[in-house]
Amino acid sequence: MPDNLSIRRMSATPSAFIPLDALRSNAPEYAKLVDISKCIGCKGCEVACKEWNELKVEPTKNFGSFQSHKDLSANTWLLMRFNEVEVNGDIQWLIKKDACLHCEDPGCLFACPAPGAIVQYTNGIVDFNQENCIGCQYCVTGCPFDIPRFDKATKTVSKCNMCIDRIDAGLEPACVKTCPTNAISWGSKQDMLALADKQVETLKRRGYSSASVYNPAGVGGTHMMYVVPHGDRLDDYSLPTDPTASPGPMTGLSFLKRAAVFLFNFSIIGTALHLLRYGQQHVEEHE
Amino acid sequence: MSSNGLLHRFTYLERVVHWVVGGTFVALLVTGLALSYPSLFWLTSLVGGGPAARVLHPWVGAVFGLSMVCMLALWIREMFLDHDDWRWLGAIKDYVTRNHDKVPRAGKYNAGQKVFFWVQGGLAVVFVATGLALWMPEWFEPGLLATARLLHFAATVGGGLFLIVHVYLGVVAYPGTARGMIDGKVTRRWASMHHPRWYEDQS
Repeated sequence: MPDNLSIRRMSATPSAFIPLDALRSNAPEYAKLVDISKCIGCKGCEVACKEWNELKVEPTKNFGSFQSHKDLSANTWLLMRFNEVEVNGDIQWLIKKDACLHCEDPGCLFACPAPGAIVQYTNGIVDFNQENCIGCQYCVTGCPFDIPRFDKATKTVSKCNMCIDRIDAGLEPACVKTCPTNAISWGSKQDMLALADKQVETLKRRGYSSASVYNPAGVGGTHMMYVVPHGDRLDDYSLPTDPTASPGPMTGLSFLKRAAVFLFNFSIIGTALHLLRYGQQHVEEHE
Repeated sequence: MSSNGLLHRFTYLERVVHWVVGGTFVALLVTGLALSYPSLFWLTSLVGGGPAARVLHPWVGAVFGLSMVCMLALWIREMFLDHDDWRWLGAIKDYVTRNHDKVPRAGKYNAGQKVFFWVQGGLAVVFVATGLALWMPEWFEPGLLATARLLHFAATVGGGLFLIVHVYLGVVAYPGTARGMIDGKVTRRWASMHHPRWYEDQS
């Protein structure tokens, strides 16, 4: 069995900022494929996620939606969102399985200042190590999908870890295992891409002319992908149209950080050179 | 005025406020740089590790912000630039190269110190405003937080550079200066040399 816990990138270490192409190996990469058209809205995946990961149950109230909770939390890593949207004169649920997409270029990992608090395994799964988390929540800001959630009690951030303990044991994630309609599939990234293309073809034959695969290039692709029946209405699914995260091109902040190193060193050296040129100005000598 | 050729330069309150500002600023610089540069993350161990640095930084920042308010209240009236100060800034090259005859005579504070005061005051506003957002990110939009991080760091660069120059001039380049911030006294000779207009007022 392949080693599923070998690490490709680690936050706040040089590996975090190496472009993906330089890091890719022959190690198998996994992906989860969510075919929204097959989802019947049973929320079994939410329950399976809670059970397997032993996440605290959070009481909820009816707030006028079929949705179980209003938002993700540190104890709710998976939330089926039921967006009620008018499509061709009918009200439809445009369902989104809201959980970590496990980006190839993870914005959370790039933003994290704590070494080893966020890792990306060679299989593509992005995992938070709470024992290294310092609770700054930069990952929350860095995530283009608004997924990580801060726990005020533990002062650490959590999110879906793709049931990495199950993956390591050769099993599929709990949500995949429990889905009664096979709306969630699990396998190698290539297989899932092929399956996604096939399903998009099927949907197009059935009249969903804008059906598409959601595997956004701005984050290098993801390890949870969606088959979206109404691919022209990503906003209505609460899916960002063009999410981006990148270790490569200089952002304003990373440019400033490099400039600051130069400026600080320059000014320290500058004062030293000034001292050597002009010396200390002793009061006695002046008069 | 005092005996032994010493002049009172800073009151006890001024010294306390100065060192609260200075001490908190250095503590903030150390913990902040640790969280900005992975290679400096080890600095967090000085305060007890990463989570401790994350928790302490904003609280120390709050003390810094309050002490900056006190500092502004204490010194603002003395810090407005007059005509001679602008001439002083025009002759800054002569100040750096020690052509003292060409540098306009300074009052209690020279124009460089006054500019330092205003810049640090402005940066403090940036630090506190953006720091508040980074302290409680759940209250703010992610886009705003990214800008806040950028501005917070930009302020660090500005403040850090001023700090280097401030320490160099006060401790290394001009012996006798730092004492004014320790027991509050400076020698008459020091005053007549560095702040002649103030010295004349004292006589």
